Amino acid sequence: MNITYDKYSLIVDGKRVFIKSGAFHYFRTPGEEMARDRFFKMKSGGYNTVDIYFNWNYHSAKPSEYDFSGIKDVRKVLQAAKDAGLFVIARPGPFINAEVNAGGLPFWLLKMEDVVPRNRIGTEYKYSPKYMKYIAQWYDQIIPIINEFDNVILFQIENEYATDTMEEEYMRELYKMARDRGVTCPIFHNDAYFAGLWADCVDIYALDLYPYINPNQNWRQDNFCFDTLDNVEEIFRSAKASSPPFIAEMQSGWFDKWDGSGYSHIREALGDEHINIMTKTALSQGVTLFNHYMTVGGTNWGDLACDEVYTSYEFTAPIDEFGVLQNNFFKAKEINYFLDSFDFTCTEPKDFEFYQENIYSKLRYDNINNCDWLFLRNLNQEITDVNLPNGKVLKFAPYDMKICPINLDLYGCKIEFSDVEIFARLKNETEEAIFLIADKNAKLYLDNGEIISGEQKDYKKYEYVRNGKKTQFIFITKSLANRSWFMGDRIIFNADYVLPNGAVAVDKNTEIAYFDLEYKFGKKNCIVNAFSDTARAIALEISDVEFCSPEIDTDYDYSNWKKISEKTDAFSCDIYDEFIWYKARVPNTITEITLSARHLFAVYINGKEVINRNSYKLEKLQEVPETISVPLNKNILVKSENELTILVQNLGFDKGFSGDTNSPRGLVSFETTPKMPVEFFVRDKLSIEHTKKYESENPYLAKISAEFDVDIRKDVFFAKYISFENFRCRRATIYLNGVKIGRYIKRRNVQEKFYLINEFLKPHNKLDIVVWEKERNIKSNWDFKSDLKNVIILLGTFKTCQLFK
Amino acid sequence: MVVVPEFLIRRIYQKGSLKKTDNGASLDLKNVLGPGFISGFNYVKINDVVYDASKVKFITNGKEIAGVEVSEENPIAFRLGQTGTLIMTGKESVVDGNNKIVIEVMNPEAGKVQLSVDDIV
Repeated sequence: MNITYDKYSLIVDGKRVFIKSGAFHYFRTPGEEMARDRFFKMKSGGYNTVDIYFNWNYHSAKPSEYDFSGIKDVRKVLQAAKDAGLFVIARPGPFINAEVNAGGLPFWLLKMEDVVPRNRIGTEYKYSPKYMKYIAQWYDQIIPIINEFDNVILFQIENEYATDTMEEEYMRELYKMARDRGVTCPIFHNDAYFAGLWADCVDIYALDLYPYINPNQNWRQDNFCFDTLDNVEEIFRSAKASSPPFIAEMQSGWFDKWDGSGYSHIREALGDEHINIMTKTALSQGVTLFNHYMTVGGTNWGDLACDEVYTSYEFTAPIDEFGVLQNNFFKAKEINYFLDSFDFTCTEPKDFEFYQENIYSKLRYDNINNCDWLFLRNLNQEITDVNLPNGKVLKFAPYDMKICPINLDLYGCKIEFSDVEIFARLKNETEEAIFLIADKNAKLYLDNGEIISGEQKDYKKYEYVRNGKKTQFIFITKSLANRSWFMGDRIIFNADYVLPNGAVAVDKNTEIAYFDLEYKFGKKNCIVNAFSDTARAIALEISDVEFCSPEIDTDYDYSNWKKISEKTDAFSCDIYDEFIWYKARVPNTITEITLSARHLFAVYINGKEVINRNSYKLEKLQEVPETISVPLNKNILVKSENELTILVQNLGFDKGFSGDTNSPRGLVSFETTPKMPVEFFVRDKLSIEHTKKYESENPYLAKISAEFDVDIRKDVFFAKYISFENFRCRRATIYLNGVKIGRYIKRRNVQEKFYLINEFLKPHNKLDIVVWEKERNIKSNWDFKSDLKNVIILLGTFKTCQLFK
Repeated sequence: MVVVPEFLIRRIYQKGSLKKTDNGASLDLKNVLGPGFISGFNYVKINDVVYDASKVKFITNGKEIAGVEVSEENPIAFRLGQTGTLIMTGKESVVDGNNKIVIEVMNPEAGKVQLSVDDIV
């Protein structure tokens, strides 16, 4: 594939292409089948490109070791994208951020001497040849795989990078490394500061735009958050006049954090108006390449998450974590279909004298369709009459944005002006059908003086013939539009979604309608037989409760654990797992221990808990280290030599955007009073991940088990979850068939529903939930076990659809 | 502290705007970075004189806002292209010739944002 560009757009094999991309994380949506499902949904929603970060850390657990097998096989992901008919934007970092653990840098790299991650300390540039050597290793692995796929159209180096002095050496070297390894498509970088950074080091200048990053902010009220977007064409032109305006990350959702406001709040706060405004304003600024970040939500299973985020990376994306289409998907779909219907790849800004309070306007001349498009946005809180200079008065809903054609010549008529939204256009040599979204406040004005009201019922049709060519306007209501699918040569109505091969998915018995220009309307009944009522969640029967932390027991043999000296943090121990165990012997002469651990920890002496603490704290966006002193006495230190056990839960390394990826984790410091050397033995993971024999006497970590069956059929899409709504315990780690799929920590707006990732589901499933509870809640071991047997865990279904060919 | 390169933050300061006043100093800012909020004035330091929030006023959009009134709960909008004047009182600090200025404000999304520039009077 030959990819070039000019100041208007990307040109693929000589043809201008509007890039409508969506971000997808294969590591958070693991496995080929899940990737296919999400890519098909993207394609049917009108996206033509998928943006893929390649996560170095995910593939490299040890120096010189790379794993691209099984669910880490990125070839299968890229092939799935190709099969879905999507182009790919490849973003292999080396640093990717993405709220992943250590920003995607391998843990082993972070501890290497002379390696300066990202060649910077804070904002100060510090070139590290050794860092560059390891990047070359990563690029040697990943770029040949990327190069196997000719649908890769763009390649990104680094991610949102800047230093105080902006030396170009690092970026130029990355560029050269990519080219030397055979990357032939245009290379870009995403400037997070929209300041023209690195424009001279890459082919295409691109930037990231997130106007809403504070969930406490109300963008409807503080609507100036779009200021940058409203002027973005000027930024692009002054940064690099020769390349097309490209928003490499355009906000289509936002991530939630520990102690955040919760995804339901963020989704509600953004509404589907936000993605509409973002995307249409970008179009009004001449943008011809955009990438909705994220288009597909994901799950931080395993140890994927950085410390900031919890298990769900739902991101309020158009396709949510569970693969279910949300309202912002339907809005994005409308815009994508519109862009498929009218080629927008070559437009120019045009003067337009107009001012009305809180109304944004922008006029563009369209070199291809030979018409003007007027972009209008209403940021008033109420329905507003917009009085245009052409005498037309629009009744504009609050926070809406429209693209209005002016003097648009069609086959059978000419639109003088219209604020009725165009959904999609089918056309052949002599006939076109333009589907419009009914809107009681909108009107379509033809140049012959005829006015068509937007208040219409489904399928209401108007026909115009001129010089043997015909235009039909066919209205559909918004609710039908959400269930309508533009397939290029036909439209399918009433489906939950469709696949690129035309298969339709429905969640109940449905009469599907089809329209194409040859046969017009047709119908087909889809009778759902694959599932009965799945709306109600059922309580799982707890089959077993076991205590599972033999490490805390006094007779536990830890002689084969790794012995460490002096430093006890994760890097020094070379252990990067979520859980790290420390064992040591301490005399009864000590009166106090002082320790700092990231992030949650408990100390046990002779098998009894002395402290259990959550040390994770962020203040003003910075991690706040905590040092705790624990007084000890003869009642605790009952022997002359006492067994000390510390369990630390590491919630992840910093993502590296504003903090340091190599901030220490695990037991960061430990001292006794009086001061004396302590020799620690360390090991990673909980026992259930190591061995089947994990029964213990102590009750501090308990495993609750349940089993359930799932009917897995090729023709059925389903998304299942377990719910902790009435869960009384404070912390839990969830394993599905032995794979760690989530961590539960009781906080404000805690995540209660956990996705049972389809890739890890089997017909018969085992769920293990390891509860790490504070002692104060444990009256007696027997009572505690019996308590846990009565824990209510609900198994539910978000969505089920059956596919029909 | 957030990784915004210094050279970008410095662009907010209006070069040549530092002035001596009767009992302090004033200087001008212009937001050329992007729309946002100021959720706190930590301090302004001119040469060796530190003005905490109680000694700082910000005049923007025709309104005078005391530094202590600005907080996480009561942030002030600072739009792209918006200008404002910081007025520091309580002690003289500006000298003829080169002056070292440090302004530290809080931003709800970025945390501490520190601007450090030199200006000649």
